[in-house]
Amino acid sequence: MKARFTCADGVEMLMDYLEGTLAPAEREAIESHVAGCPRCVAFIEGYRQTPRILRAATAAALPEDLAQSLRRFIAARR
Amino acid sequence: MAPPAAAEGDEALAARAAAGEESAFEELLARYESRVYRLACRLTGDDGDAKDVLQEAFLAAYRGLPGFRADARFSTWLFRIATNAALMQRRARARRPTESLELFLPRFDEDGRHAAEPAALLAAGRADELLDRKRLAEKARAGLERLPDIYRDAFVLRDLEEMTTADVAELLGIEAAAVRQRVHRARLMLRGYLSDLVGVKP
Repeated sequence: MKARFTCADGVEMLMDYLEGTLAPAEREAIESHVAGCPRCVAFIEGYRQTPRILRAATAAALPEDLAQSLRRFIAARR
Repeated sequence: MAPPAAAEGDEALAARAAAGEESAFEELLARYESRVYRLACRLTGDDGDAKDVLQEAFLAAYRGLPGFRADARFSTWLFRIATNAALMQRRARARRPTESLELFLPRFDEDGRHAAEPAALLAAGRADELLDRKRLAEKARAGLERLPDIYRDAFVLRDLEEMTTADVAELLGIEAAAVRQRVHRARLMLRGYLSDLVGVKP
């Protein structure tokens, strides 16, 4: 590992860190960097929220007419 | 006597549907049509394509039920069919070239430090508070469309459909490590994209 741990290093291993799959030495390195880095704290928060925001925003509801045409489509091919 | 339908497992229903009980198939359809449609929308980005995928997936499931092995999970089996149908559908359609989201990857200064200030870096995580719901829905869809396909597929299946990494790897025919790498990169691009949407440089 490089002498000085940077924000870029933290971003590189962020997913593994959040999922708890980092080796102890790496976890310690990222945690001690983030503890003194408001930029990383803010970045990590945005990164963590991104899947949730996209999940909610793309949760398309099935239109009622489509549910009906699906049943007609299957019935016609039985 | 059979247990009430609400308590019956998918696999038992699938077995009855495979034996020709139409009502059992109807129940499976009712359980999964919304989720399959949502998956199709996320992977194809087009209402018409999503409709086709929905129909093709359930027709393929209907016809494939006799070959469904009862030791597998019905939902995994169905989502595999639906994902493959969506990827085929997308391949058949020439996509308009869009500006890739690569430009929203995080930026660092020469010391490897985040180029943006903390307040700006925080903005992406508040996109759902800062943006009108309808506008965010449109932009989220457009954002998925702008992800390079390999990142989009991994991100949709893993982070939006919440499948396991192992299931996504099997579905896409790639290693688990590659799934993780793609999901991570997609999150980075979309984080920057959300940030840009709320008017802050990523």
